[in-house]
Parts: sequence; structure tokens; C-alpha cells
Amino acid sequence: MNAWILLPVILPALSGICLLCSSLRSHLHSSGVDVWNDLKEEERGRLHRFVGIVLVLTAVLALLAAWSGEHEVRLFELMEGIPVYFRIDAVGKMFVTFVTIVWVAVGFYSFLYMKHEGEERRFFGFFLLVYGVLIALDFAGNLVTMYLFYELMTLSSMPLVMHNGSKEAIMAALKYLFYSMCGAYLGLFGIFFLYRCCDTLTFTAGGSLNAALVSGREGTMLIAVMAMLIGFGAKAGMFPLHAWLPTAHPVAPSPASAALSAVIVKSGVLAVVRVVYYMVGTEFLRGTWVQTVWMTLTLLTVFLGSLLAFREPVFKKRLAYSTVSQVSYVLFGLSLLQPQAFTGALLHTVFHAFIKSALFLTAGIIIYQTGKTRVDELRGIGKEMPCMLWCYTFASLGLIGIPPMSGFVSKWYLAQGALQASVGAFRYLGPAVLLASALLTAGYLLPVTINGFLPGKDWKVRSGEENGIQMMLIPLAVLAALTILLGLFPNPLASYIYELAMTVM
Amino acid sequence: MAVVILLPILFGVLIPLFPFKNRAQMMFYIETVVLVNSLLVLCLLLNRPEQAFVLFRLNGNLSISFQLDGLGTVFAGIVSALWPLATLYAFEYMKHEGHETYFFMFYTITYGITLGIAFSEDIVTMYCFYEMLTLVTLPLIMHTLSREAILASRTYLYYSLGGAAFAFIGMIFILNYGATANFVPGGVLDPAKTAGSENLLLLIYVLCFLGFSVKTAMWPFGAWLPKAGVAPTPVTALLHAVAVVKAGAFTLMRITYYSFGTEFLRGTWAQTVLMVFVIITIVYGCSRALKETHFKRRLAYSTMSNLSYILFGVVLMSPLGLVGALSHMVFHAVMKICSFFCAGAVIYKTGRNYIHELNGLGRKMPRVFVIFAISGFALMGVPGLCGFVSKWNLAKAALASTHPLAVIGVAALLISALLTAIYMLTIVVRAFFPGRDFDYSSLDGIEDPGWMMLLPLVLFVITMFLFGLHSAPLIRAFTQLAAFVK
Repeated sequence: MNAWILLPVILPALSGICLLCSSLRSHLHSSGVDVWNDLKEEERGRLHRFVGIVLVLTAVLALLAAWSGEHEVRLFELMEGIPVYFRIDAVGKMFVTFVTIVWVAVGFYSFLYMKHEGEERRFFGFFLLVYGVLIALDFAGNLVTMYLFYELMTLSSMPLVMHNGSKEAIMAALKYLFYSMCGAYLGLFGIFFLYRCCDTLTFTAGGSLNAALVSGREGTMLIAVMAMLIGFGAKAGMFPLHAWLPTAHPVAPSPASAALSAVIVKSGVLAVVRVVYYMVGTEFLRGTWVQTVWMTLTLLTVFLGSLLAFREPVFKKRLAYSTVSQVSYVLFGLSLLQPQAFTGALLHTVFHAFIKSALFLTAGIIIYQTGKTRVDELRGIGKEMPCMLWCYTFASLGLIGIPPMSGFVSKWYLAQGALQASVGAFRYLGPAVLLASALLTAGYLLPVTINGFLPGKDWKVRSGEENGIQMMLIPLAVLAALTILLGLFPNPLASYIYELAMTVM
Repeated sequence: MAVVILLPILFGVLIPLFPFKNRAQMMFYIETVVLVNSLLVLCLLLNRPEQAFVLFRLNGNLSISFQLDGLGTVFAGIVSALWPLATLYAFEYMKHEGHETYFFMFYTITYGITLGIAFSEDIVTMYCFYEMLTLVTLPLIMHTLSREAILASRTYLYYSLGGAAFAFIGMIFILNYGATANFVPGGVLDPAKTAGSENLLLLIYVLCFLGFSVKTAMWPFGAWLPKAGVAPTPVTALLHAVAVVKAGAFTLMRITYYSFGTEFLRGTWAQTVLMVFVIITIVYGCSRALKETHFKRRLAYSTMSNLSYILFGVVLMSPLGLVGALSHMVFHAVMKICSFFCAGAVIYKTGRNYIHELNGLGRKMPRVFVIFAISGFALMGVPGLCGFVSKWNLAKAALASTHPLAVIGVAALLISALLTAIYMLTIVVRAFFPGRDFDYSSLDGIEDPGWMMLLPLVLFVITMFLFGLHSAPLIRAFTQLAAFVK
């Protein structure tokens, strides 16, 4: 029996639901205004122990399930011939691993952070629920199972966005919902077509499109694939359905923004990988208008995202725009349909997950300690919280792609892949845009470091701001260290992904 | 067979005549009648009688007769499963509405009439019961006797009678051109008689379809449905989300697949015209729902759109289309009655009718709103809940069809799903996230309703999950049922 690999899905999901129920029950009879901070100190301690244990247990189980060989579980039939089916393959393994690392780090971080946001039971309830759903999404073995958890992910992560309950947050969450659903239904539209034209909806490396069924309706099939790319690209913040991201990520509590920006957008990437490399197949797409449009959209997003980030004064919003741009690096790599670019794309997925969560955690610490949200207010922050700003700086350097930091490796592969791919003018256009965007990235991330460490002579330094926030600094430091380590020793991961790339192309 | 139809009618009429000592006694009597009748129907569905039962002959070959076939089984199954639950719910709900005796009289009679439609053997019988359904549900809409209610019931009457008139024309033509008045899988049109007048018959079919579609609130004949939302919630929930409107969909399946026949209709201009109407309704209903601020009216508009999902399946005129239509007929019944009951519970407990008044209620009525959220997820087609299954089947049917509008239909389904997500979830968000500085003390004293209201809701949720997770047997049964369509 392989059913135990579902434990890391069921455990956090159930614990999350329990927390939500207890949150609902506790409010049932409380009237009055103070519903936000209703936890007593001892209750909070108990909550933290519970969440901590569930997180660690789930993480261990998830990693065990992922790395203890090939497993598959076929549950009941959702519909005639379409089972709920889980299989752990190379892509899934990789995704589960980085999701787990980020999730645990962010989870421990939020113990302290969420004190000042309130309603902690609800937050951790949804936080655990989303974790379970994400693991299930990564383990999903066919398209419909993936779609199932994709929708659940949207619905269960939405409350994280509107956690603080302000009007702005709620409108942002609704926007998130609208875009995500729009994307999901575009995806579903494509799934209907794939169901007709594929031998099986089970993910098959290299695709399972049946040429005989497609012949004569290639045109519609291409439109369907395009719809899926745009649809699933919505989650990954790809133009034209990117607008939700800079609205929704900043208003969430910082740990949630970290999780959203680092991990949940990557589900869009995963879905695109599954569709293109495991369902449709690269053969069918190479050289078609779909590839061209896709590349154009991603490059546009890369550039626009960086530009908007550059102009954005609010720190978290700047980081959100940066996500828009960086995730499209990944999508650009995927759109080249070339093994080296594919390697670069997945490497960047992992690196960006660690880097962006570290950056958002930094923003969270600043908000928690000082309440400052705008970049121009951050002068001297490095004097007050040096450890934090060092972590931030290392992560930023990684994102910019300065060797030997991690981002350099992934961009190297991306550029090489682009040069080797037979995609006409995009061979040169791609690397050029990547380079321009890297410059912009430096331009929007480094001023924080520079002004933070070098506030000028007239700056009065307050120190000791870092006392008492070790609970938040440690996860941040771990993530920052990971980005450095992966930059220094990228080879195991890179060769793992390259092998994977060879199986799907 | 006639027993199950006549029993509720008879005992319903008797309700005002019985000398009940108190309310509880009357409730007990009604619930017993309804439950016993449902059990009888269930027995009947399990051992289907082969022979048709002729109640009486009008003249010549016109008769009032009953027969139970696959399609009728599905419809009768839905109705008989939901009626006892809705009645149970109504007991608690109607406490605050008054005039219960008459309400339950008509409510119970309607049960019989609806079964009559399900069991009709021929088009004449069906037409008779269809007209009776209009008349008997009219007092239910009028129930509060407010000016608004009377206007609404008048609208309902005009629309329905107008529709029935067109349907009547269709019936006459079937009697003239058909080999028999009975419903025969594949249609009854006699090629010898129809030769030369195909276009006329197609025109008649379109008119007849539009006539019957008044009950399913198809655009542009749907205005009565949201207006009828003034009726007490058990009526809006059971009749305007299930019994009456599904009776409309059922009659359309009958005339399309069993009278005119799909072979005669498929690929003609009639199909195209109707598909246009259906697709417009799917999107129109949803957009109106989005704009609507009245809770029950919003759900009514949503019903309008969802009923057209069913009709979309019907006008695809293929076996898969019928499967999709049937599955949505069953699933939508459960989903929509569930969300209406939630709305009713809110109205019953708080008297609030508009969506902007629902702020913060999720905290005080968590069970109701969690269930409402689940029904919303089901309606928008989250996999794992039943709405997804029917959507999947409809899309599958549409893509298998060669009709050029079918793909547009799929797009319409998805647009409508997106709009559904918005108009259902904004309610949920309001209820659970009223805003940071919301004053909960204004909601003191509000709580979840009693078990009579919650029990049906919980059962519906279980059903939604059950069908959502394990639909294969049901869909297989529908496929078998629809196998006759060529």
C-alpha cells in the first residue's frame, strides 16, 4: 500500500480545518469588538506548539514520500475513466522539496509576526490547509487531479490575502479570486480539448497527444493550448492576467506574501510544465505561433515587471512587481522548449522561491519592528538591524544574478538555452531583455541596501532593534544561506534537472 | 401509479378540513403523507411497472395515462427525494409567515401534480398536468398577499399561460403529424405525413420549445422567476429551483427527444436558433445575478442561468448532451435548493433580505454560511463537488458535437462559472470578512437555525460531495438511458 504518501496531504489539511472550526466556535459567543486579539498567552503557546509539530511532521513525511522511490496511489474514480491519481515523479519531488523548506521557514517566522496581525487561529488554519493542498498539487498524477487541487489552492489561499480584513485587502482578495478563476477556467477550457485529443490524461513525459485525433483540428488545438498557457500563466503573473499579483501580495500579512510570492505563483509554473511537457508535448508546439506569442508575452512581462518595480515606492509592492518579472524568466525558459533553457527555468523556480521569500520576510521584519512600508523611509535600517539587511543583501544579489550567487547560474542556463534554441530573433532578444531586466533588478533592490547601510553622516543610529526577533531572523537567515549555498554548489541540482529535461524532450 | 399522484392531491385538499388540535399535529400529518408518498414513489421506481396505466379516455386516442420510463424515473426521483426534506424545512420556516394551512395544502398538492408530469405517458397528459402546475403554484407565490406578491403572481400567470399556449400549438401538431401521441424514444413523427412540411414543423418545434421554456425562465421569458422570489423560501427553493422549473426542462427533453425526435431536428436551423437563445440565457442570467443586490433574487437569476445549462445539453441533441442535461438537472437541484435554504435560514433568523446586510453574519451563523460556501463552490464547478461533473459532461458533449455554436457554448459555460464564482463568493466574503472595524455587537442574539432547517442542509452537502466524488454509476445509468438517441 502506498496510500501513506497521502499523509502529508491529509495531516495538515485536517489540522488546518480543525483550527478553522475552533476559530469559528470561539467567535460564536463572543460579542464586542475585540475579536482580533483574543488569544491568551498560554493559548497562543499551545497553538504554536500544535502548528509547529504539524509543520515539522508534515515536512518530514512529505520529504520521505518524495524521496523514498517512485510511488503512485490511485484513489476512486472522480468521473468515468478519470481517477483521482497521485504519482510522485521528478518534477513533483523537486517542487515538494522547495515548497516544504519555504513553508516551514515561513511558518516558524509567522509565530512571532502574526502576533501583531491577530486572528492567528484562522491564519494558521488556512496556512496549514494550503500546505496540504500544495503537496497534493505537486503529487498529482493526472490533469484533472491537478486541476482539482489548483482550484482548492486558490480558494484556500484567498483568506490569507484578506487576512487583515481592511477594505483594501478584501478588494485585493476578490481581484485575486477573479483573476485566478479566470485563469483556471481558461485552463479548464483547454483541459476539455486535451481530454478529447490525448490518449490519457495521466502525465506522460514527452506528452500524450494522439496525432490521429488531432489531425484536421490543429488550429483549435493550438488555441486551446494558448488558452491554457494564459490561464495557468495567470497564477504565475504572466501578462495579460498579471494585474492581481501586485495588488494581492502586498496587502497580505508578510509571511503570507512570502508564501504567495515564493510558492503559490510557482503552482502556475508547475501547471504550465505539466501541460506543455507532460500533456501536449514539445513537438507539437515547436515553431508554432503559440510559441512565438508565448515568448513575446513572457519577455514583455519580464521587462514591464522590472520597470514597474523600479518605479514603485512601496517596498512590498516593489517586491511583488519583481515577482511578476522573475517568474516570467521561468516561463520564458519554458517557452523556448529547449533542454538547457528548461534547466535554467526550473533552477530559477527554486532559487526565486528562496530568494523572494527571504525578501518578503525582510519586509515583514521591517514592518513589524518599525511600521515602515515605503522604500524611502528605510534609510539607516541597516544600522538598526544589520543581520537582517545582510540577509536581504545576499538574497538581492542572488536575484540580480551576480556570480557566484544563485541567480547567476539559472540565468546562465537561460541565456545559453535561448542562444541554442532555434527561435529566430528571440535568440538574441531574449538574453538582451534578461540583461536589461537584471540591471533594473539591481536598480530596485540595491538602493535599500545602500541607504540602509550608508544613511549619511547626519543619521542618528538607534541600535538594539534586533533584540527579541530572533524567531524571525533565523528563518530569514536560513533562506538567505540556502540561496548562497545553491549558488556555490549548483551542480547536483542542475544535473538533476537536466536529466529530467532530457526525459521530457 | 395513479396512487402516488392522487394521494398528495387528495390529502392536500383535506388539510384545511381536518380538525387539527395544534400545529404539531398538522406538521406530523403532512410530513407523514409526504414521506409515505415518497416511499411509494421509491418502490415504484425500483420496480418499474411495464404496463401503462390509463386513468380515463377523453375521446378517441386521447387519454390521461401514465407510464414510467427512464427519464420519468430521474425526474420523479429528484422530486420525491427533495420533497420530504423541503417540507421539514418549511415547518420551521413557515412559523413566521402565517396562513400555514393553505400554504401546506397547495404545497402538498403540487407534489402530486409534479409527479403527474414525470409519469405522463403522452403529450396530452403532460400538457394537462403542466397547466395544473401553473394554477396550483400560483397561490404559493401570492402567499404573503402583499402588493408585490400579487403583482409577481400575475406576471407568473401571464408568462406561463402565454407559454402554454405556444406549447399547445406544438401538441396539436404532434397529434396531427405523429404516429402516436405517446412519448417514444427517438420521436414519433411519421415521415409519410411530414414530407413537404419540414420547415413548418421546425417552426412549430421552435415555438413549442420557447413556450415550454417559459417555465425554465429562458431569456427573454424569464422575468417572472426573480419576481417570484417574493414567495416564502420553501417555495422559491423547492419550486423555483427544482420542481416547477425542472418540470419545464423535463417537458423540453420530452418534446425534443421523445416527440419531435433528434434525427429530425439535429443540424437544422431550429437547433441553431435555440442554441443562440440558450447561450444568451447562460450569460445573461449570470450577469444579472452579479448585479442583483437582493439575496434571493440573485439566486433566482443564477437559477435562470443554470437551467440553461440543462437546456444547452438538451439542444445539443446527442446522447452525450442528454447525459449532460440529466446530470445537471439532478445536481443543480441539490446545489440550488441548498443555497436557497441557506438564504431562507438567514431571512428567517435575521429578516435581512439584501446582500449588503449580510456583513459579519458568518461569525454568528457559521454552519449556514459554511454550507452556503460549499454550495457556492459546487455551483461554480470546483472539482470534487457535483457541479463539476455536470459541467464536464456538458462540455464533453459540446466538444463531441459538430455544431459550430457548441464551442461557443462551452465558452459561455466557463464565463458563467467565473461570474458564479464572483456572485456567490462575494456573499461568503461579506459574511466572514465584514471589515476590520465591524461592530459585532449589532448581531447579538443571532444564531444558527434549529435542526429541522439544518438537517436538510447537511444532507444536501453530503449529497454534493457524494456525487462529486463518485459520479460514475449515476453517469453510467444516464448513458444507458440516453443510448436510444442516434
